[in-house]
Amino acid sequence: MRRAFLAITGLAASTTALVVLKGSPGTTPVAQDVPAAQPVNPTPQGADPSVAPVTPGGPTPKPSVRAGTSSSPKPSRSTARPSGNRTTAKAPTAPRTTTKAPQPTTRRVTGPGVDNEYGYVQVQIVVSGNRIVEAVSLSLPSGGESDIHSGDVRARYNGTGGEVVQKQSANLNTVSGATETSNSYKQSLRGAIEQAF
Amino acid sequence: MTYSHTHAAGRRTGTTSRHGGRSAAPVPPQVPARRGPGGRRLLAALLLVGLLASVLPWWLGTPAGSLRTTAATLTAAGRITGLVAGYLLLVQVLLMSRLPVLERWIGGEQLGRWHRDIGATLLVAVLAHLSLILVGYADLRNQSVLAEVGTLLGDYEDMLSAFVATGIMIVVGFSSVRAIRRALPYELWHLLHRSSYLVLLLGFGHQFTHGAQLYKPGPVRSGWIALYLLVVAALLWGRVIAPLAFNLRHRLQVADVVAESPDTVSIYLTGERLDRLEMLGGQHFRWRFLTRGCWWQSHPFSVSAAANGRWLRLTVKVVGTHTADLRDLDAGTRVWAQGPSGTFTAAHRVRDRALLIAGGSGITPIRAMLEELPPGAALIYRARTPADVLLSRELDWLAQARDTSIWYVIGSRDDPGPRQLMSPDGLRQLVPDVARRDVYLCGPPGLVEQSVRALRRAGVPRRQIHLATFEL
Repeated sequence: MRRAFLAITGLAASTTALVVLKGSPGTTPVAQDVPAAQPVNPTPQGADPSVAPVTPGGPTPKPSVRAGTSSSPKPSRSTARPSGNRTTAKAPTAPRTTTKAPQPTTRRVTGPGVDNEYGYVQVQIVVSGNRIVEAVSLSLPSGGESDIHSGDVRARYNGTGGEVVQKQSANLNTVSGATETSNSYKQSLRGAIEQAF
Repeated sequence: MTYSHTHAAGRRTGTTSRHGGRSAAPVPPQVPARRGPGGRRLLAALLLVGLLASVLPWWLGTPAGSLRTTAATLTAAGRITGLVAGYLLLVQVLLMSRLPVLERWIGGEQLGRWHRDIGATLLVAVLAHLSLILVGYADLRNQSVLAEVGTLLGDYEDMLSAFVATGIMIVVGFSSVRAIRRALPYELWHLLHRSSYLVLLLGFGHQFTHGAQLYKPGPVRSGWIALYLLVVAALLWGRVIAPLAFNLRHRLQVADVVAESPDTVSIYLTGERLDRLEMLGGQHFRWRFLTRGCWWQSHPFSVSAAANGRWLRLTVKVVGTHTADLRDLDAGTRVWAQGPSGTFTAAHRVRDRALLIAGGSGITPIRAMLEELPPGAALIYRARTPADVLLSRELDWLAQARDTSIWYVIGSRDDPGPRQLMSPDGLRQLVPDVARRDVYLCGPPGLVEQSVRALRRAGVPRRQIHLATFEL
């Protein structure tokens, strides 16, 4: 019985430790903006956008949702910083060099990842000048019914002609049946827009 | 030795017995080669690695800093405990799969102890998983926990069965709390415990439809399903195929039932190819006697004589309805056996000499083991009354043949004699080199507990103490 007691204590302690370890970089309220540390990331040509949000803990968080065909406007190779396609939660030291480009160049800005009960939502926008020209969801909840709802969300918001591009803001209409995911999408989008402009 | 009032007190090496014993071993038996604790350590290490591996997907799949809200934190903790619970459930079933390799290398008693400890942990993990997810989701949706239960039951696939599984697990878990378990008839408890297979079935679905780490196809999901298949395969092998092969090979049947004392019987079994039965003295089988009223339950009993190639014997104390029925077994009754199992054997010794402590009917595995221990062993046999002393003639015969000292210590636990003897000083006086011996203990829980305490104080390291308690 003593070992059972030890095991239960160990379970409680290690669960707490895991959660604290994962949550630690963003324990402050500022954390909402922290993942945006490196706003302007010209993605190298042909790179799969879903590879972009690399976490220090391991590989891509939710690699299942591909952003589809999104290698649109090609970033001029001259401004590309090859090391820059990394949006980590704890990289606030990275220099914000090309935040406001003088001439209209195309930039990709990745919003903060948002966790909801169905999964992980992260949005990336392509900005040309002062306009959002395309929205891409790097990650949406998947599996079971989530696939359907995420599909709806993707169809409504994403792309070069989706609601994001039409409205040019995060004030989107909520997709019915996918309230939670819509809200997370808007939250991530808001973060991306704040960084971009 | 001053226990003049006790029956056969202080009988020592060389005492001849008038009748002699049944010669269980026609040829001088050899001492079995040692089996170290390697198997146990390997399994423990494997299980631990598996535990880490089962939480790893969560760690890799959760972006650092993503747990910003209380709800996210609670949900994350709920997912961890869920993964742990899912894994532990599989471990629990594996430990009880009766896989021959587990039974031989780790032993039914040890597996049972692990099963009990992991069971308590599993119950806590499941309850934590349930409550953390409930509170976390309720927080996300800004509704009460009760309303959240409704949402989960109504809108989510597979959640109803998951809730039923949790209910069964709670019943099984609490019925296994020692105090409650003692109050229940063994048969009822066992039936209740069997229903935990339903947990495996009912809890399966929701892990894959809603498990954040498992819903998407990929190595994690495949691995988890493979784990399930592996455990089911182990279960099939250990519970169906291996016993089938064993029983078809040996075809055991009752040869005779002999009364050893007013409430103890010995059941002699014969069968085919018993010379090829790999069994060590002190191991047990789970026996199923194929007669009306008995066939549906199986019970673990030690074999009370070492393997001799001709017959098997188990000696059983009548304590319940099942054991009472065993007195009336007819010769020729077929017996279905599962085993052998156990590490309470001479092969698991770590020292050259041994001290054996038996209480009441706990003598049976020790009697079998005596035939295989190296010479120079010592046996303390505790019994409440002289009538409770079993198999004394054989013991005396063995004492002579195997150069073993035997002390019969008769009386209640509170009598001054037994009390003095079962103390650290008493043990040291009786067996001066006790700290350098293996000690094998089998008897009622009270005696075992008291003896372990005295032995530890007398300086016997824990790894030299071997217990044969079937109590879970």
